[in-house]
Amino acid sequence: MSLMGILRGLWAALLSMFELLRGLWTTFRSMFETPVTYQYPEVKRPVRERFKGRHVLKRYDNGLERCIGCALCAAACPADAIFVEAAENTDEERYSPGERYASTYQINLMRCIFCGYCEDACPTEAIVLEHQYELSFTSRRDAIYTKELLIVPVPEGGKPTPQNVPVGMFNRAIPEMKDPA
Amino acid sequence: MSEELVRLKIDDIDVRVPKGTKVVDAAKQAGIDIPVFCHHPKIESVGMCRMCLVEIGTPKRDRSTGEKLLDEGGQPQIEFWPKLETSCTTPVSEGMVVKVSSEKAIEGRKQILEFLLTSHPLDCPICDKGGECSLQDLVMEHGSGESRFLLEDKKHQDKHVQLGDLIVLDRERCIQCARCIRFQKEVAGDPVLAFAERGRNIEIVTFSDPGFNSYFSGNTTDICPVGALTTVDFRFGARSWEMDATASICTHCPVGCNLMLNTRREARANGRQVIKRVMPRQNEQVNEIWICDKGRFAHHFATSEERLTKPLVRIDGKLIETSWKKALEHAAEGLKAAGEGVVGLASGRVSNEDLFNFHTLLKSVGGRAILSDSQAGGELVQQVGVGKGTDLGALGAGDAILVIASDLHEEAPIWWQRVMGAAKRGATLVVANARKTRLDDYAGHVVRYRYQEAARTGLGLLQAITGAKDLSKFASDEPLKSAAKALTEAENLVIFCGVEGLTYAESKSLSDVCAAILVETKNVGRAQNGLIAVWPKNNTQGAWDMGLRPAEGDLEKAFADAKAVYIMAVDPVGDDPSLAESLEGDRFLVVQELFMTPTAELADVVLPAQSFVEREGTFTSGERRVQRFYPAVKALGETKADWRIITSLAASLGIELEDSSAAAVFLQIAEETEAYAEINYQSLAEFEEQWPPVGEEDLYYGGTTFKNRQGLGVQVAPAAEQDQSLKIQWSAPPEFKGKKGYLLVPVVELYNRGATVMPSENLHPRLASPVLWMSLKDAKSIGVIQGAQVELLLDGRTEELQAIAEEGIPEGVVLLGRGLGVPIAEPQYVEVRLKA
Amino acid sequence: MQIPVSEIHEIIDREADDEGSIISALEKVQQHYRYLPKEALILASQRLGVPLSQAYAVATFYNAFSLKPKGKYCLQICMGTACHVRGSPQLLDQMETKFNIKAGETTPDHLFTLETVNCLGACALGPIVVVNDEYSGQMTVQKSDALMKRLIRKEGLD
Repeated sequence: MSLMGILRGLWAALLSMFELLRGLWTTFRSMFETPVTYQYPEVKRPVRERFKGRHVLKRYDNGLERCIGCALCAAACPADAIFVEAAENTDEERYSPGERYASTYQINLMRCIFCGYCEDACPTEAIVLEHQYELSFTSRRDAIYTKELLIVPVPEGGKPTPQNVPVGMFNRAIPEMKDPA
Repeated sequence: MSEELVRLKIDDIDVRVPKGTKVVDAAKQAGIDIPVFCHHPKIESVGMCRMCLVEIGTPKRDRSTGEKLLDEGGQPQIEFWPKLETSCTTPVSEGMVVKVSSEKAIEGRKQILEFLLTSHPLDCPICDKGGECSLQDLVMEHGSGESRFLLEDKKHQDKHVQLGDLIVLDRERCIQCARCIRFQKEVAGDPVLAFAERGRNIEIVTFSDPGFNSYFSGNTTDICPVGALTTVDFRFGARSWEMDATASICTHCPVGCNLMLNTRREARANGRQVIKRVMPRQNEQVNEIWICDKGRFAHHFATSEERLTKPLVRIDGKLIETSWKKALEHAAEGLKAAGEGVVGLASGRVSNEDLFNFHTLLKSVGGRAILSDSQAGGELVQQVGVGKGTDLGALGAGDAILVIASDLHEEAPIWWQRVMGAAKRGATLVVANARKTRLDDYAGHVVRYRYQEAARTGLGLLQAITGAKDLSKFASDEPLKSAAKALTEAENLVIFCGVEGLTYAESKSLSDVCAAILVETKNVGRAQNGLIAVWPKNNTQGAWDMGLRPAEGDLEKAFADAKAVYIMAVDPVGDDPSLAESLEGDRFLVVQELFMTPTAELADVVLPAQSFVEREGTFTSGERRVQRFYPAVKALGETKADWRIITSLAASLGIELEDSSAAAVFLQIAEETEAYAEINYQSLAEFEEQWPPVGEEDLYYGGTTFKNRQGLGVQVAPAAEQDQSLKIQWSAPPEFKGKKGYLLVPVVELYNRGATVMPSENLHPRLASPVLWMSLKDAKSIGVIQGAQVELLLDGRTEELQAIAEEGIPEGVVLLGRGLGVPIAEPQYVEVRLKA
Repeated sequence: MQIPVSEIHEIIDREADDEGSIISALEKVQQHYRYLPKEALILASQRLGVPLSQAYAVATFYNAFSLKPKGKYCLQICMGTACHVRGSPQLLDQMETKFNIKAGETTPDHLFTLETVNCLGACALGPIVVVNDEYSGQMTVQKSDALMKRLIRKEGLD
């Protein structure tokens, strides 16, 4: 072995030592950083605003349901996960401000692929994919969310549905929205 | 027919159409779509909506010589009219050039659509028409995509105007095409709709009482190009794309209208498939593209929760639910014990397959199969029924129609509509009845006879036609002679023979006479000629063809002689409570039914059958057209198809019947019934293109009636087509026996209170009331004021009824609707007195 | 108001011929009563064989017919463009105040009916007021006041 060979070996050893130290420095440094893991389920990571979780059915401030039972969400759904049955509102028993409301609304969350097409199709912005993502079921039946499970609670100051409203108060087929654009 | 053809050019395609055709129809025949709203191929054009604007040009002519001017190439020069023209009101002319897809025409359509949308609410998401709406489709195809008008400036109008009990009007959606108004006037013959006001305030109004009083009102929702007219039955029921469609045949009357059943599974029906709506299916020779409101709305019985779902067996005097096996064993035991003393009774409500098996079973055990419908003439229809290819829609000037002893408007509305149409086209209509009916308004000759003299009137007609000496005692008076002349002179003659006010014997005599008239005038064995019996049930003709025969007016004796009775699809006790006695006692009774009827309540075994929507089969219409219907929904509970129940029952009796499929049963029918020899399920499912085209992409043209892709059926040829030397022996009517009191005549009301109508709640406000109709004079002599309560004494019981006096009712007669809660089997003499 | 049926019959019979004569028959009734009583519509439809809905359609389509009783004097104010810019809204306002009714209404004593029309075709004379077919052109508030006073005096309502 020549001297050159020995020197070259030492240099390589030195280099690898440096690499080792550099690696250890990363480890050392990370000891002082905040961890990225969450202690789920005790601690939950907040989702992004536009995260698409489980659907909810919205209400107006007065408590009336936004959903008018048009079933366009069901038509738009690529997974055929939504089922809607409609009925007609009366002033004595009013669910939505329009003529029609959803008497049955079901989403099969096992079929749902959370694409959000239903949101896009909704003419009254009634169905919104919100932030609930903890969706596991022990039976197929439980995976079907009915209207009672989907609809949001009555907001403060609003009344639960069905409401008894004065005659002629609501006379539009589809309620006029604040921002139709 | 040699029609003059006119040659024209539409969008560079050469078209030849008969003279008088409108440009829009000519284009349709050439496969070019001109969008329309107000034009409908079945209704006269008015040019209201301006949607069909096209550029039209005609050959330029020299003003002095009138010669066509030619260009350098030798082609005629075309002069285009200065403005866009409505193609629905412009008739074609020789050498015409039409531009449908020129820039000017496209721009015109765009602007019309923009204009139509200025006051349209755009509530498509909740509109029942959404998905099959002409306005939606045409705006998608021809619209500009944006509007220069302000959304906030739309005129808001009433969204829920109840036009009668069945139809709802949304004033905002209406585009004022007047299709509904014109349909009611021209096609339905009930001009009860009109426009009120004008401009933006225009509104469809009805002044009839009850509102929108027409048996054809549902059709306006099919031809409405928008969602302005909707039915209460389907309102917000489902979206059009969510439903499956199954072909079917209406079971309410012998017309045999072709239907489409729209179904879907529903949560509120516990996941069962339900019928959401009944739609017409095109069959130009049967119902064209229309159906009556009974066919459309009275379908709920077929899927009613009240139906029988499990077999029942009587144990210790009570009907107990049991298994099919036990029920069939028990039924077989009872029938076996009766030996040859088995009497079977069935109605024409069930299919040919059911009736064939029923007849075969009873033949095998040596029993007798009786048809419950008490009207004669089935074998005459087999001989001199209407010829193959008969189309009432083809009758017109030079033809004649005789309607005798029938109120077609109540008994078979679509026949009424088609007969009326023929009369409007110029056919001579002779209406013979004992009272005024709605067809009288269109009749060229009205023959009035007294009840019980229908057959004599027929013989009078025959006498006038033949001048036969042996008929001289029926010599006719002048009105009868002129009616007879009209019948003799007609090129084609169709006779509708009913049973109003007739006993079985009289009905036999009348149908004989009708057949004899047809034979004498040589109007048999050809298309557009022959006898049509106005049967009480949809498949009564099929029952005759399958070999069942009526009891000839003596059902009671037939029951009394029997050791066991097997009843299918009929409720004799409900129709005539006095029959209960003859069915009680140790007579073994098997009843096969949909509902727990009064007859079923007496049964030893009750077998639950399937309704027509749950199974397949065939019906034979009054015009003797065999038509197929298909299963649309899953069967309720443990019910089985009638023919299959009979097969199973036969198996328990050791008789082998076909059990593989309804199609296989039909093959046996074809084998054993000469007239049906050429028919099978494949040939029944054949179809051809029909005019006008409906139910395709261009829903705006013909409306939402379904296209027929499931079979037009096969019309069975009468024996007269083979055997021209046919002779019919007329029979003298039974002697007229005058009795004391009033003659109570049961009449047919379309919306009766029978088991097939009552489950449809939408029809309840329109149901006929159990009212005793009488002449003004009789009302006076009894002392009845309009609407007073009277007592009716019949068969030893007393019925309390409201009495109403009306013009057009003969004296000495009181009329009462069938199936309104007061059972009456045949006309009979009763006492009527004012309630104390 | 009670309308004797026989009287309507008489009026209709004078014109009645076939379906097509419904307009002229209704016109005569309108002239006689200054409106179309419900009974007249029903009788005319029966007499001429026109469906009642059709008769109603005719009656509501033409402005010349009214289903509400009209006043003895029918004041029509032109609201066409020319009259409008020349001040007909002020005239309408004045008359509405004077009679205490809105356009299209009739005074409770059935004397005056106020109507607006869209153009009378005499724009050069605007603003125009028509009282029972008598035209008054180039109206001003003063002139119309005088006109109304004259009418009121004529009826002895002063």
